[in-house]
Amino acid sequence: MLQMLMSRRCRHVMRVLQSYLDGEVDAQTADVVAAHLEDCRRCGLEAATYEAIKVAIASRIEGGRVPVDAATLDRLHAFVASLEYDGRAPS
Amino acid sequence: MGEAGPAERHAAFESYVVPEMQLLYRVALRLTGQPADAEDLVQDTLVRAYRALDRFDGAYPRAWLLTILRNTHINRGRRQRPLLLRTDDLAVTDVGPVRDSVPSSEDVVLSEQFEGVVVEALAALSDQHRLVIELVDIEGLSYQEAAERLGVPRGTVMSRLHRGRARIRSRLKTTGLARRRVTR
Repeated sequence: MLQMLMSRRCRHVMRVLQSYLDGEVDAQTADVVAAHLEDCRRCGLEAATYEAIKVAIASRIEGGRVPVDAATLDRLHAFVASLEYDGRAPS
Repeated sequence: MGEAGPAERHAAFESYVVPEMQLLYRVALRLTGQPADAEDLVQDTLVRAYRALDRFDGAYPRAWLLTILRNTHINRGRRQRPLLLRTDDLAVTDVGPVRDSVPSSEDVVLSEQFEGVVVEALAALSDQHRLVIELVDIEGLSYQEAAERLGVPRGTVMSRLHRGRARIRSRLKTTGLARRRVTR
């Protein structure tokens, strides 16, 4: 019985998985999916794979289209440098 | 990595992050639509990545960082666009536990081959499918924005997008690149 319920949840999650990863589901659905992905190995792997596909495609964003101003980069570099060794953000 | 002292860890972290900083910011800007939000998102990502450094095997830092960035964005509660719809409810007050957002690098095998196959599979898609993926994953449009840009219903965007990606997924399966982690 429990097996059957888990499969139904998996089917539901698989249907909305890409939308979830795109941030296009409502909060309630997102919570359900997020919780399930933590518990379900198979769905978690599927999510990680689709995520990796998005990452690979997003890496194709070329420089030049969006100017990244020097001040922003400087701030981010300073932020990295200031991260305390135990991983806390600077106060 | 766990054996290294704090200075070494910090230096290793900087070596992974610095080359990817511009890309992280650009992707964050695509995701959030706002420079201030983008910077915020990158900072949260950096904090999470730093905390997860011990679990990172050093392979494919770009993919590692981008995945954390995107998971951080999702965990914050979806797209914050268009501006008119933003409310205080969408404000982030807590970075949240790292465990929710950081994948284990062994869960998905990522490699240059992976990216190569994805790009190849993307190019092999029909114009219709490829265009939607480019609009959403590269331009960073929402489903609705892509629908308006293309002059088609939102549902059409969804089905083309999801099918296109599913084809890429199949290609990865056939080339054996998207493997399950070996169970112990």
